[in-house]
Amino acid sequence: MEALGRAGVFLFQSVVGVPSREGWRLWLHQMHFVGVLSLAIVLVSGLFIGMVLALQGYTILVDFGAEQALGQMVALSLLRELAPVVAALLFAGRAGSALTAEIGLMKATEQLTSMEMIGVDPLRRVVAPRLWAGFVSLPILTVGFSVVGIWGGYLVGVEWLGVFEGSYWSNMQANVAFISDIGNGMIKSAVFALVVTWIAVFQGYDLVPTSEGISRATTRTVVYSSLAVLGLDFVLTAIMFGGL
Amino acid sequence: MTDAPFIEIEELYFSRGDHEIFRGVNMTIPRGKVTAIMGPSGTGKTTLLKLIGGQLTPESGRILIDGQDVHKLSRKALFTLRKRMGMLFQSGALFSDLDVFENVAFPLRVHTDLPDTMVRDLVLLKLQAVGLRGARHLTPAELSGGMARRVALARAVALDPELILYDEPFVGQDPISMGVLVQLIKRLNQALQLTSVVVSHDIKETLSIADYLYLIADGQVVAHGTPQTLDTNQDPRVSQFIHGEPDGPVPFHYPAEAFYRDILGGAPVK
Repeated sequence: MEALGRAGVFLFQSVVGVPSREGWRLWLHQMHFVGVLSLAIVLVSGLFIGMVLALQGYTILVDFGAEQALGQMVALSLLRELAPVVAALLFAGRAGSALTAEIGLMKATEQLTSMEMIGVDPLRRVVAPRLWAGFVSLPILTVGFSVVGIWGGYLVGVEWLGVFEGSYWSNMQANVAFISDIGNGMIKSAVFALVVTWIAVFQGYDLVPTSEGISRATTRTVVYSSLAVLGLDFVLTAIMFGGL
Repeated sequence: MTDAPFIEIEELYFSRGDHEIFRGVNMTIPRGKVTAIMGPSGTGKTTLLKLIGGQLTPESGRILIDGQDVHKLSRKALFTLRKRMGMLFQSGALFSDLDVFENVAFPLRVHTDLPDTMVRDLVLLKLQAVGLRGARHLTPAELSGGMARRVALARAVALDPELILYDEPFVGQDPISMGVLVQLIKRLNQALQLTSVVVSHDIKETLSIADYLYLIADGQVVAHGTPQTLDTNQDPRVSQFIHGEPDGPVPFHYPAEAFYRDILGGAPVK
């Protein structure tokens, strides 16, 4: 409970305030580190997941003669569930752990303390650009994941298994709603982005500044983020699609 | 310039867990002088600097810097006050993602709007003073411990602060840089009328630059005065420390049970 309170104050102090020009530059730098460098793992995973979805979906749908609905199935699975969740889990492993280790090492080597003594608030200079970069980049990565996943489904379903191309795309267009499917998926992604990045930077800032402390905090980031993403996904799905 | 003391520490109490570090410390640090705080290892000298810088909060008592109670300031006011201070950390604490030049330029870039050419000149002047102008393109990972501390000193004085806190500035310096550093601290103080607080246990070097000394042990100030008065102080704790004698009232060993009992008594290993 106490840690949750500290984390709340920490988040508030980090995000409240108007960013300076230097703040924008630091944010862009972090967008590269957190977002651009996560692109490869997210896109490759999206491709494979789309391909597997199409393959598994086809084997089931074909029994009912409903393989024409493959595009709709791949797109809805990705947009509503798999893209936000898997991208967030990958993001926690790739970027979250790196953020925790980086901030933790800065704390252990007294860099954060010396920044404070120079009169610069590390929450504004170190934490805020990373938080905002994570918050903005994960939803963009999620869009990339979905697009590549749908393309992967097309490669397997249409190019390989021979589903009619027109029905793959037209069924998708007819059955995917912009607000309730794409919009809800993006809301999920934004929530996961905030939670994962918040956990990552807080664990780095709050850790015991020893090598063991850094290792434990990095592990905690991945474990807590994964559990939070999966738990919140259920809650959000229940609210958005479960009629709650 | 006013004669009021720059830092006043009143009835300071501070503990870490059950371990009492300060039990009613009182100090007055005069403006424009070099004040040394000395004492055996583990007496909380670095902790005292962190309390002065507002990074730690005392259990009771207060610390006034230029009349402002450090621990009653808002976060913003504390950061504003810190712009008037420089601190040299034991480890150097350089920013590992910036090279030597950018580390020294950091305070100038964040707190001033000086043009790049002027920042460059100022940084090179500071680096020249610590003998590392040629090392400006190195990264902190490429520096030795002593060099890192000298870069950190250049960074600490980059904004020409009114107060500099030195945490063990002489540790790990070779004799040449040690001599240069001693002179540098002295010169900076005289030329810029800075207030300097030096925490150290290098007696010879510290005595040669300090105008006033505080000796702390057992959580309290055990003696204070000018270097001359402390040199002739008859208190056995002061004399043991100043003259570096192994036997005396200040124990060399961390508290433990009797050595023979520990070795022979088969006490369970903890």
